Formats: sequence, C-alpha cells, structure tokens
Amino acid sequence: MREFVIYADSACDMSPEILAKWGVPYSSLTFRFDGEDKEYANGDMVSTEFYDRMRKGGVAKTAAVNSEMFREGFEKLALENKDILYLGFSSGLSTTVNSARIAAKEVCEAHPECKILIVDTLSASAGYGLMLRAVLDKKEEGASLEECADYAESLVLGNCHWFTVDDLVYLKRGGRISPTAAFFGNAMGIKPVMHMDNEGHLVNVNKVRGRRTAVAALADKYTELAVTPDKGRIFISHGDCEADAKLLAKMIEDKHGVKTEIITDVGPVIGAHSGPGTLALFFVGRER
Amino acid sequence: MFKSDKSKKKKKGEDAKGLKYLGGMLLSKMAAGGAALLRRNAEKVNNLNVFPVPDGDTGDNMRMTIESGIAALETLETDDIAEVMKVLSHGMLLGARGNSGVILSQFFAGTYKGLDGVEKADPQALGKALEKGVEQAYGSVMTPTEGTILTVAREAVEYANSRINEASTIRSYFADLAREMHDSLERTPELLSTLKEAGVVDSGGAGLFYIIDGFNRVLNGEEIEGGDAPAPKASTVLNTSFNADSEMTYGYCTEALLQLQNKKCDPEKFDVDALKVFLSAIGDSVVAFKTESIVKLHVHTLTPEKVLEHCRKYGEFLTVKIENMSVQHTDLENGEKQAEPATPPKPKEKKKYAVVAVCNGEGVEDLYRELGADEIIYGGQTHNPSTNEFLDAFSRIYAEHIFVFPNNGNVLMAAQQAADIYKDAAVHVLASKNIGMGYVALSTADFSCEDAAMIEQGMKEAMQSIISGYVSPSIRDADLNGVHIKNGDTIGIIEKEVVVSSQNRLEAAHVLASLMLEGRYMLTVFCGKEADEMEQMALTEILAEARPDAEIYFIPAGQDIYPYIFVAE
Repeated sequence: MREFVIYADSACDMSPEILAKWGVPYSSLTFRFDGEDKEYANGDMVSTEFYDRMRKGGVAKTAAVNSEMFREGFEKLALENKDILYLGFSSGLSTTVNSARIAAKEVCEAHPECKILIVDTLSASAGYGLMLRAVLDKKEEGASLEECADYAESLVLGNCHWFTVDDLVYLKRGGRISPTAAFFGNAMGIKPVMHMDNEGHLVNVNKVRGRRTAVAALADKYTELAVTPDKGRIFISHGDCEADAKLLAKMIEDKHGVKTEIITDVGPVIGAHSGPGTLALFFVGRER
Repeated sequence: MFKSDKSKKKKKGEDAKGLKYLGGMLLSKMAAGGAALLRRNAEKVNNLNVFPVPDGDTGDNMRMTIESGIAALETLETDDIAEVMKVLSHGMLLGARGNSGVILSQFFAGTYKGLDGVEKADPQALGKALEKGVEQAYGSVMTPTEGTILTVAREAVEYANSRINEASTIRSYFADLAREMHDSLERTPELLSTLKEAGVVDSGGAGLFYIIDGFNRVLNGEEIEGGDAPAPKASTVLNTSFNADSEMTYGYCTEALLQLQNKKCDPEKFDVDALKVFLSAIGDSVVAFKTESIVKLHVHTLTPEKVLEHCRKYGEFLTVKIENMSVQHTDLENGEKQAEPATPPKPKEKKKYAVVAVCNGEGVEDLYRELGADEIIYGGQTHNPSTNEFLDAFSRIYAEHIFVFPNNGNVLMAAQQAADIYKDAAVHVLASKNIGMGYVALSTADFSCEDAAMIEQGMKEAMQSIISGYVSPSIRDADLNGVHIKNGDTIGIIEKEVVVSSQNRLEAAHVLASLMLEGRYMLTVFCGKEADEMEQMALTEILAEARPDAEIYFIPAGQDIYPYIFVAE
C-alpha cells in the first residue's frame, strides 16, 4: 500500500515548529503591509510586531496560496510515491482550497498513480489546527487515506469556532463579515460574540457588554456545546492578548477540570482580518 | 415648619353658617386657589429632597399636574360639582407628571368617582368621595409606602370624616382637612426613616397640603397672591411669511378635546376607530383616543371645518387648536424658531419595534439616536414629562411595539399611565432610572428577535446586572448612612445610598468608582454638563493602576445635576 501524507496550509495557525513535529508539510498564505512590496509568510514576522503595526494603523493585505505553490508541494510528494490528503482552510474565507483543487488535478494528470484527496475543513485558525490534529491521530491509529478523509468530513460540522474581537472594523474592512452582520450599533464597550457557521462564514451571534463578559460568554459556549466537556480537546488562539487567552483557559478549567492543549497566536494571515485583540476558542461540539 | 391657615379673613356678611353644600363653581375657584398656593410654594416643596442634591422637583410636578386640571376647567361653566370634578381630574390625569403628580391625579380621579353624580355635595358626600380618592391613590402604586403623600391624604380624610356631625359645614370640613394634613405631614418623618435622617418632611405630602390649604383659604375668602397662572403661550404667528399670495399646501394641524355628550351619542359605545376612518379620509397624521367620555384627536387636514362639523355630531369641544402648517413651514424655512413642531406624518410602513427615550441633554439625545431611538422626550430630574407628552410621542410612531426608557424613577409612573391608556401599540415601559441603565439595556437589545417579550426580558436582565452610581454636589449638611456630609461637598451615591462625601470631587469620584468596581470589570462614565476633562484623565489613570483588569469608558452625555453617572457591570 502506498504511503500518504496529510498536507495543510498556514491558516491552521499551528507554528512551523509544531507542523514539523507533526510531520505535516504545508503551503503558506502570504501577507504584506499596504504601501510595501515585501511579502511575508506566517513565521517571517513575530506576532507582537505584526499586531503593533496594525495598532499603529498599518493595513495588512493577504493573498491565498496559489495553485503553483500547491503544485510544487504536491508534486514533490508525488515524486516520492506518496498519496496526499490535503485538509484546507475554509472556502468561506479564502480561495486557497480551490487553488489546491486545480493543482491536484494537474499533478494527478502528470502522475496518474498518485491519489490526492481534498477536504474543505470550513474551519480557520486553531480550529482548523484542531481538526488537523484529530485526523493525524486517526492516521496514527492506522486508518487509510480514504478513512482519514471520511473522518475529516465527519468532523466538519462539529468543529466549533467561538470568538470575540476587540473591534469589528478589521472584519468589515476585509469583507470577512457580511454588512448586516457588521451592523452592530455604536455603543461603547459592546463586544460581539461570533462563530463560524456550517458554511465556513463568520457570523455575529450575540452582543455583550465588556471584554470580560465576552470571554465568559465563550467559556459558556464550551459548556453548552462541547460533546465531552470534562475531557474535550481545546485549542485557543489570540491576536496578541495572551492574558485573555489564559483567562479563558482558566475559566474552562475551573468549571470542567480540563486543560487547554494549545494556546497559540492568531497568525498574521488571519490576524490581518480579525485584528489585535481577537480571542478564539475551538473544541468539538454537538453542533457548531 | 408648615403653618396651616388660621387667617381670619372671613368676609363679613358671607354665609354665616359656613356653607352646607359645595357646588361646581366654588370648587373651580378653590382648585385655582389650591394651584396658586402650591405655585407660590413650589420651590419650597422642590427642596424637600431626601438626598441633599439639587434635583428635587416634586413641587413643580404637582403644580403642573393641577394646572393641567385648571386649564381643562377654563371653558367649563356649570355648578355641577361632579361635572367640574370630572373635568378637573381628567385634566390632571392627562397632565400628570412625576410620581407625586400621578398619585395626586389618581386622588382626584377617585374623588370624582366617589361623588357618584351628585350635583352639589354636603360634607358627608364629600367625605365619602374623598375616601374613594384615597383608595384610588393607594391603588395606583405597586407598594404603598407610609409617611408619604398617601398617608397625608388618608389621615386627613379619616380625621375630617370622623368629625362630621350635623353642625358640619363645607368650611369646617376643609378646615379640619387642612389642619390634619398639616399635622400628618409633620409626622411623616416618624413613619419614614429616610425623611427623618434627611431632616425633611415628605415633599408629595407637602404639595398636597398646599393644594388643600389653598382650597381652604379660598373658602375663607382669601385671595391668594403671587399665584398667577403662567401666561398662555404667545402665538407662534408673529412674523409670518404666509401672506395674501401664499398657497395653502400643508393644511392645518388640528387638535381637539371632544367631550362626548349623552344627548348626542352613547359615550361608552362611541367608536373611535370609525372616527379615525373619517379623519383619515380628510387628512393624515391621524391620532384619536378616548379616555372615559373625552376623545383627544389630532389630524393634519386642509378642511378643519369638516372635523369640527363631524365631531359636533357626538359632543362638544373642550378645546380646539387649529394651526396653519404652511405658516409653521414657511417660518421654519425662514429660520424662525418653531414653538411647536408639526407632527410629522406617520411612516407608511408599520415598524415591528420602536423606541421612545426620555433624556435631558443633547449628548444623551445623540446617544439614544445612535442606538436607534425613534422619539425623544425632553425631561428628567428637573422636568418630568407628563402622561400626555408620552401619548404624543407614541402617536408619532407607527409600530407594533414601543419600548419606553424613562431616565428617572419619577418619570416611570407617568410613562406607565400613558402605556395603559395608549391602545395603538403594545407599550413596554422599562424601569430605567438613569441614562446609564437605558443605555446598557438598549445597547444589548437584539431587535432582529421576533419575540417582543424576549427582547424586553433581555433588557430587564441587562439592567438588573448592573449598578448605578452618582457623583453630585451636596446642597446642605447631612448625616446619611453614616457619612458626614457638608454643604458644598461632593457626594457619591450607589443606587440609593450615600457612600462617600469629600471636599475634593476627584476623590469622591475615585472612591465611588472603586467601590462600584468591586467584583466587576467594566465602568461606563456618563459625563454631565459639569464634567471636567482633566478630572476624567486623572480618574482613568488612578483606576488603570488600581484595576488594570477593568475597562473604563467615558461618554459625553451632558446631563444636568450630576457631573458623572457611573454604571458598573
């Protein structure tokens, strides 16, 4: 039986070190600041520096992975006689998955023996990372390429993303939220409690008063939706607000006795759209 | 402190027996006297404020309430006491503002019912009627508190009624009533510890005493001076640009109070909806509603004569106001200040939800407008809007549900009374006692929700989860809640308790904020007219150091009285 690898992209917000440790090859989305030509990938610029520039008014633009970048990555594996399961960043937010489809078609035509399966995770940031980790576990249990792909598909609708942002202006600017969802009134101190829906779009679910209430509301969502609240796997990502991330982890641990497995940065390619102060919680729930 | 009238100004030659019956004409005069005496003492009543802060307005509220009744009497010429009391009390119901004003109007409304159609009342009949008045006044509040206007009314009526005998006259009855009101008022601090602590008697009780003492003085032939009713509003038509060549395009804003008459129709079964249909056929911006046998109507029409003609089929007008809206319009175009804006036409499409907010500063109005308020009523601590002002605001809205945000506990009852009367929408009055509570509730409301009860519940919960605090100047020495207050200090109040008093306003604000933030993480500061920017910066710095985990927001609201209102959550 041919070997297969699980392939990803950098929107999963798992650091290059973690992905190397997990043995996951990936392609990078890129970002640059308005008025500059220099392109960066996540990991080229530390998050604190990136968010500082945003706070000072810097506008970051991002680019999806193009098909050529995927083709290079996939072809290298095809030449090593490996099949590929690519788990991709939500098609609701980026054209990255589509680039991968185009690349996969090309590579398979050139290498008819190579099988490339693609799963649109309809997930982002460490939520995408969370699903990636779960599928890797399945693979380590000995599941086949097809079994892993089916498993990944089965996880999509229970992969919960709940998050809050400090300011909706970034999501509005990047068009990552619909104009009606962006309408929020102008009240001081009002914070959105948002999630990613079944189509991989960001939606505004609730508004609460104050950051602390918003953090508590995320913890409440875990209690409400988690399949196994006392032993669920939790990832948290944050846009340069580690204290809030730790507070959220503590709120959940105090209530359910379960530790958060990974607290990580919202990397620049996603942070460019969600902004500094984004705090996101990911877990497996009964529904999204 | 309060001297009841023992003047000997009894006119010689007047009915020596002191009147066996009270008729409508005399009652009218007495009521005018009561209003005048209260007017003369309104400021004194305002200052009977439990908190030593300059926001008392009970005197003004009660004065405006009774004046509204007096105004309704203007065109009435009958000696039928029940008839006079009916018009008087109904005018008061519509003009009622502030808690004491609402209670006062209910007292008179109950008294009218108790008169039970008598044309002239002897002391017995009067006593019975006033008992009804007391009953209705008690019934108008959720939890009647003793040591207030209620006690003063009840004890005085009980006392005066107990002294009725064969020799009793109207004059002796009112003398008893006024005397006991005075004594009962003096006893209010014994019943209500907050009054005792503050060293004042109850303000609503005092207002009632002045009114009844005014009744009594008129009976004794006294002319009450200095109490001229405010001059009627000057006509808005002064330098108008509507001239011999102007086109009549905007029609007339026509408003009237129609007294339905038994000989012309059955007032009880009068069909207001049919009237609305008629008015809609000849104009727009139609409002009509009925309370008891009086219909209030409003329409913009090119043919006001048709309104008059049609309505007179059912009764007679108490008041009619017809204003040429082209004049209002052209004057507006000419930049003239408009005394009373024309009612804007109702939008064609019915909204699901609308919001009416009471506010007392431009900043506050902007805040509410940003949050989506449809109608703003001006008022608050220093001017409590009347039931009628609420009704007018409701009538300018075309919606299924109206949410109302008062900004003062004292505005709540008038809003609720209006909500009970208004029939064209479901009116939900929220118990917001300051701008902060209203702001919090409205900012979390989700108007995309289909269920009005859920929205209301959400807003109530939002209000219950916060605490309010006030920074205010003190206007006299006092010892409250163990805090020693000197005249001129700045005091900090949480809900209803004084927690700090200091010569230094920043310190008072800081202590208040710190106390409020115990166990809480967010402070919103509504800055009033007297707020100070440097002070706000200093406060931010102190709090940022003491509570780095808390958020603090400043909002320029421009309210009166309080330089700062705090909301902690």
